[in-house]
Amino acid sequence: MATRKPIKKRSVPATATKKKAAPPAVAKRQAAGKKLAKSAEAEADEVLDVTGDEAAEVDDAADEAPAGGKSSGRRATAQSMASKQRDISVSEFFAKNRHLLGFDNPRKALLTTIKEAVDNSLDACEEAGILPEIWVHIEQTSTDRYKIGVQDNGPGIVKKQIPLIFGKLLYGSKFHRLRQSRGQQGIGISAAGMYGVQTTGKPVKIISRISPKKPAHYYEIQIDTKRNEPKILNGGGEGVDIAYGEKGAKDIEKHGIEWVDQPHGTRVTIELEAKYNRGRGSVDEYLHQTAIANPHITLHYTDPEGSTREYQRAADKLPPEPKEILPHPYGIELGRLAAMLAEAEGMSITQFLSTKFSRVSPAVAKKICTTAKVSPRAMTRKLGRPEAEALYHAIQATKIAPPATDCICPIGEELLLKGLYQVVPGEFYCAATRPPSVYRGNPFQIEVALAFGGAAATQNVDKELLSDLLEETDARTIRQFLISTFNGLGSDAADRIMKAAALGTRQTAKQLKPKEQERLLQAMQNVNVAEGQTMEVMRYANRVPLQFQQAACAITQTITSTNWRSYGLSQSRGGMPKGPVYIMVHIASVWVPFTSESKEAIASYPEIQKEIRLGLQAVGRKLGMYVRKRQRVKQQGDRRDIFMRYLKEVATAVHELNGVDRDNLYGQLVTVAKRVTADADMKLDDRGRKIKEEAAETDYGDNVIIVDPMTHAAAIKRGPAAVAVADE
Amino acid sequence: MAKKKLTPVAKAPKVKLSPRDEKTAERLTGLADRVVTAANNRKDPFVDIPSRTLANVKYSPKKKILEMGNATNRRQLFDLSQAKAYMRTMLVTSGCKKLIDQGKSTSLRGLFYMLKHTIEGVKENTFDEQGECDTIIEDVEVLLSSIREELHLYAENRGAMVGGIVLTDKGDEINCARMGSGGYAIPSIVEPDVIIFDKKRCTAKFILHVEKGTVWQRFNEDRFWEKHNCILTHGAGQPPRGVRRMLHRLHNELELPLYCVLDNDPWGYYIYSVIKQGSINLAFESQRMAIPEAKYLGLRSIDFERCQLSDSVKISLNDTDRKRAKQVAQYPWFEKKPKWQTEIRKMLSNDFKLEVESLISKDISYVTEEYVPARLRDQDWLD
Repeated sequence: MATRKPIKKRSVPATATKKKAAPPAVAKRQAAGKKLAKSAEAEADEVLDVTGDEAAEVDDAADEAPAGGKSSGRRATAQSMASKQRDISVSEFFAKNRHLLGFDNPRKALLTTIKEAVDNSLDACEEAGILPEIWVHIEQTSTDRYKIGVQDNGPGIVKKQIPLIFGKLLYGSKFHRLRQSRGQQGIGISAAGMYGVQTTGKPVKIISRISPKKPAHYYEIQIDTKRNEPKILNGGGEGVDIAYGEKGAKDIEKHGIEWVDQPHGTRVTIELEAKYNRGRGSVDEYLHQTAIANPHITLHYTDPEGSTREYQRAADKLPPEPKEILPHPYGIELGRLAAMLAEAEGMSITQFLSTKFSRVSPAVAKKICTTAKVSPRAMTRKLGRPEAEALYHAIQATKIAPPATDCICPIGEELLLKGLYQVVPGEFYCAATRPPSVYRGNPFQIEVALAFGGAAATQNVDKELLSDLLEETDARTIRQFLISTFNGLGSDAADRIMKAAALGTRQTAKQLKPKEQERLLQAMQNVNVAEGQTMEVMRYANRVPLQFQQAACAITQTITSTNWRSYGLSQSRGGMPKGPVYIMVHIASVWVPFTSESKEAIASYPEIQKEIRLGLQAVGRKLGMYVRKRQRVKQQGDRRDIFMRYLKEVATAVHELNGVDRDNLYGQLVTVAKRVTADADMKLDDRGRKIKEEAAETDYGDNVIIVDPMTHAAAIKRGPAAVAVADE
Repeated sequence: MAKKKLTPVAKAPKVKLSPRDEKTAERLTGLADRVVTAANNRKDPFVDIPSRTLANVKYSPKKKILEMGNATNRRQLFDLSQAKAYMRTMLVTSGCKKLIDQGKSTSLRGLFYMLKHTIEGVKENTFDEQGECDTIIEDVEVLLSSIREELHLYAENRGAMVGGIVLTDKGDEINCARMGSGGYAIPSIVEPDVIIFDKKRCTAKFILHVEKGTVWQRFNEDRFWEKHNCILTHGAGQPPRGVRRMLHRLHNELELPLYCVLDNDPWGYYIYSVIKQGSINLAFESQRMAIPEAKYLGLRSIDFERCQLSDSVKISLNDTDRKRAKQVAQYPWFEKKPKWQTEIRKMLSNDFKLEVESLISKDISYVTEEYVPARLRDQDWLD
């Protein structure tokens, strides 16, 4: 049940049998079959649909019609229009509508390109059973041009497939199967290549080696947008072989690319018009979040300034291999059903139903036939449209077991915690993996992890980084800069930082004097931004971080519609909860329902929202227990603070009144204060009763980490206030 | 951060304390001794402050004044919501002691500045606003049953008097019949050690108290006090303690009847009620201030018709006024007086209020030449 758009290529392991891709037209029709009501997508459908029939070419006709209308009185005749009506290639369509694929602006283009390449690499490695190691290199070639190189240690790609995978849109192995993978459609990397060629004229350069015994292949490819075909530029249309070792290395250098020598693997190099930024929605953030959700990968990242960051793998085991499943009857659409019926050769209807779908036994198939009033032994090719429709309705009316859910591979609570703990500073971590569930016949699974009490991003910045950030930013004012650069920093907190730094609201970010920068840094360290800080949400689909269209995403919507107040966080109605909280939500599915091709937000199916909510509530309850307990102890501590504050004043006043020894009296009062607030030193249970040491731990259930925030590695720069407390 | 000098109490006082001051100082020190005792016994120090709320105020039908009940509020040092208030109480106590020891007095604001400083180690002030300090001072007054004067504190002078009386103020002779247009400003402390009356040197036969300075000016300019042989006072709205105490002393020591000319609105009624019975907040001072025999001369709700005033002088009642009027009507000391009930009902049914100045619409001196003399002549007043 190819519900949606085309697929992503690559990741065909050299050993695997090649799967034949459907001709583009079929893919298009399939794509037209079912859709989500997103306007961009609706537009795409319309145009794609048109290509199938001999309908008008909407764009061109509209553009040129007025010219034709001058002489004839009518603007155009059926004949004159017919002469302009022709096929639109997918590549042409996407070249015009690049925003549908995530190439709206130079900044996003860079991210999308890297994202597509990395996702493909990871899929390929995992499918081949190799622990992934990825190299990402971004290099600035001129003011607005960047060359990106992404290499993996995957299985490599056979020579013949390379041009198709990188030079043809809608070509791939993932679209026609139901299996949990990062890529789905076969558009991504070829679209990135196309974007690169369009903006810089430089071809896509690919090196791939499938075995240490064979030479690597090197191709330079351009996509022919008219025909949606790859055009090989080097080696007379054949590409060149690159030998192993010394000689090969020289060749590679000659071609202006790089290659980390590996027995097998692939490297793609694309030069494109782009813009490099840090902060929200950046490449850095994407790689960072990818590392959290994929603890089994090693990542080497060289940014445009030449500094290298390494993410070492925290787990030495690959996630279990996801199984491919047959479509479930509930998820099928009428059009798709008719197409499948037409394709199935020489099968009885019972056979067809029980072999092409999951969870349909011959008995169930018979039941469906009876309900549809179709003979169970009728041959599929003899069935017409009316019978197909009857079958379709019969399927909906028949009770069929939900699909098998063992095809889903969640990250797992343990690894989620590990990933989060390593990257996000905090004092309380917990995770929950929901049991698998089903939406529209597609199995999926929700995972939620939460970190609480981390130091704010503003406090982890040093002087150099700050001046770098200030230089790079697009923001016009300092305030804008603070809000857009630091995740979760609300406008409130930004204002407080500005006030503390005594900077004007309208001051330009780039023109800060060194002294002002110093003040800004000071303020960032000292202002308690946790006050008014909003929850930080990291969204993942099949281990891929989602960075844009936060508001349109089912995950965000579910978070804001969940009541967090009962878990000890403050939240305004329908808003993000407040507080130093990081939350990570992962949806794993054989088919993730995105709202658009650029795969930025998850569609709001009620089944999915329900599971997300249950997951959020599971971690929320644990958070609530922790927060309440912490508050209780803190209240006692605060109480003592308040008393201590006034004791000296009282002692002084009494001394002035009756001449008693001030320090002695103060000492005595402090003793009383300690006795009165002894609870602060005492462990309390959930209901606030005093309890003995043995039973001191609240039962949070499994998969919870509680750390002393002072000892957390990521909490080193917590500002002077924290240090002062630690000293006591 | 204001560093406080530790003035050793043992050192010989510069000033010879009067017996009254000694008594007050003793009470203040007693408060400190209780802290020491509590600390010695590892106990939580506290003070029991008589509660100054409506619930703890009783109207004594016999004495016809408001009296304070026995209820107290315990203020503890080791209670989260009271710790700061307790600390402030001790600060005010020590501040007053210092004033007494040095034989000086200061204004309420002066004491506020004397005690205001930043608490050591935190960015918090002992006091942020004068209001916070004033409340604590009242607490200390009731706590020690020492009045403000005894704590060497005074408020701003407010209110004025003029009339046929000669008095001595801190040794200076003041002839209230020769005070020009401004009158004699009534000080906030008018206790016998400051102001001395001489019955023989008082020719006035009664006191006429008006609400505001502007009305008082009218009466003074028309030499009303001369023609009718009285003392003319005003309290600038709600009369401060100095004025009330002065009226009380004039009334009791010189046996002068008191008549009030106030606005015809709930606020005017309330001023009368405070002069007559005492206020809720200062119920502990009613004994020294309330004048149950005070009479309400005007303005009355019937005056609009009686004096044939024009429509333009009406000021319509607002919701607060109506609410307040109903409250006043329910005060126990008004509740059983049919005349007062009629008066308030009449105002509510009029649905407007009248200021004393509204009589000027008749004639500039209508109030001094006709209105008040007529009322006095006919003995037409509310009690």
